[in-house]
Amino acid sequence: MSDINSTNPRTLCRGICIITGASKGFGQALAYQVSWYLEPRSVLLLVARSGPLLQEMKEELQSATEEQQLVVHCVAVDLRTKEGVDETVRVARQEAVDEIEHVLLINNAASLGDIAKFETFTNPDEVNSYLSLNVSSPLALTAGILQLCPCRPGLRWSVVILSSMFALQALPSWVLYCTAKAARNMMFSVLAKEQQHVKVLSYSPGPMDTDMQKEILLLTNVNHNPMPCHESAAKLMKLLLDNNFSSGAHLDFFDV
Amino acid sequence: MSSSQRKDLGRALCIITGASRGFGRTVARELSRLVKPGSVLILTARSEENLRSLEVELAGSEAGKSGLLVQCVPADLAQMAGLQSVVSASRAAFSEHIDHVILVNNAASLGDVSRFTSSFTDMAEVDSYLSLNVTSCLCLTARLLQALPPRPGLCRSVINITSLCALQPFKSWALYCTGKAAREMMFRVLAAEEPDLRVLSYSPGPLDTDMQLVARSSTADPDLKKTFSDMFSSGQLLTCEASCAKLMKLLLEDSFTSGAHIDVFDL
Repeated sequence: MSDINSTNPRTLCRGICIITGASKGFGQALAYQVSWYLEPRSVLLLVARSGPLLQEMKEELQSATEEQQLVVHCVAVDLRTKEGVDETVRVARQEAVDEIEHVLLINNAASLGDIAKFETFTNPDEVNSYLSLNVSSPLALTAGILQLCPCRPGLRWSVVILSSMFALQALPSWVLYCTAKAARNMMFSVLAKEQQHVKVLSYSPGPMDTDMQKEILLLTNVNHNPMPCHESAAKLMKLLLDNNFSSGAHLDFFDV
Repeated sequence: MSSSQRKDLGRALCIITGASRGFGRTVARELSRLVKPGSVLILTARSEENLRSLEVELAGSEAGKSGLLVQCVPADLAQMAGLQSVVSASRAAFSEHIDHVILVNNAASLGDVSRFTSSFTDMAEVDSYLSLNVTSCLCLTARLLQALPPRPGLCRSVINITSLCALQPFKSWALYCTGKAAREMMFRVLAAEEPDLRVLSYSPGPLDTDMQLVARSSTADPDLKKTFSDMFSSGQLLTCEASCAKLMKLLLEDSFTSGAHIDVFDL
């Protein structure tokens, strides 16, 4: 096992890394960066709805990491469904061999939801559907992944959920997004308190040049000066490699 | 809003969810004493039997005899039909004489506290919990705000019964903490959007209710469980009446910052 405190470069060890919403945007940028830091015979699970986009990424990643023997799996599923979550866990379980040193889950998949006045949210189906993807799904997936293999010394567990400054700050017309982000932060705080051996992080990436940001601009006419995804992904990588953060912390790109 | 305390809450239309027992039942009783004749109380919960007994009690009370109208609407607020029936009853009760609308979002559930976060692998269970504790609260509030729109002379107050769990994580209480944190943010957004609304997240403290009984008998985390059962055995639980009195004081004074989280022990 590599010693992360030695003169060797810091790594994510020989791990199994699961990234949801991996086909584009931040998830995609993160997948590439994670691949640089996973040791030989690590496994990377890319989870998203689009099979073709994931397949393209797999090919690029595998050619770039040939020597590394990185195993890349595409899990083309809809995480709004139980089947999607269960399939992701099933594939991960298959790959979680005894020699794994690190289980790293990045709950990145999320949606913006409608940006509209509170009063307009009269339809429970719309709200339930939103909360299901953005709250229930990452909770169920995280729970499933945490049950992948028994705890043992030498096995590191890291669980990340993508957050936002709007998990902490109320923004008019953003009730769905703010509510779900606040919920996600809290559920991960409870997890962190319960499980001392799991490093839990709510990472707020800042505004990035993604489809979601384009949607925000369209709906609100507000330009948040988004940065390239890889810039924010690099900060998250640093946090994971340094591994100094307090479990359960909410950390923002601009604070780190 | 004057800085001196009002003596009553006006001629009010009050909608109280989870009114059949526990804190909600007490809120219904206390509000009935503070609203003027011609006011209407819409009581909703799933249990028709418990609502009817409350209705009878209130009808026979002094307020009831002086012109307070009490209407029961048994409903499952997680269902569209349930939401619609509460909103229809409220709309029907809303007259030009009403000068105060008070919505008390009290209905809630604890979720399974006998398990830890890593056991929640079933999305349907989490969906169902959020549906009752977050979605129904959002949709009911949204529908009522649309059905009972602003007009000159009308005050609209929206109360969210919250908890310390909205602000702090507690082991083995993932669902409850998550739901409460979600609601708290939801109402902060509402307060930020509508400055004319009086929005309050009131945390009633540890109450001597059925919910507390489950908490002290089922909580998986041993330290937390002991904390609850010690509170019970040492008489530290609050009566619903004692906590409700503080909420009523807040409403009468009406000086809270809209969107604030106020705990019974802050007063």
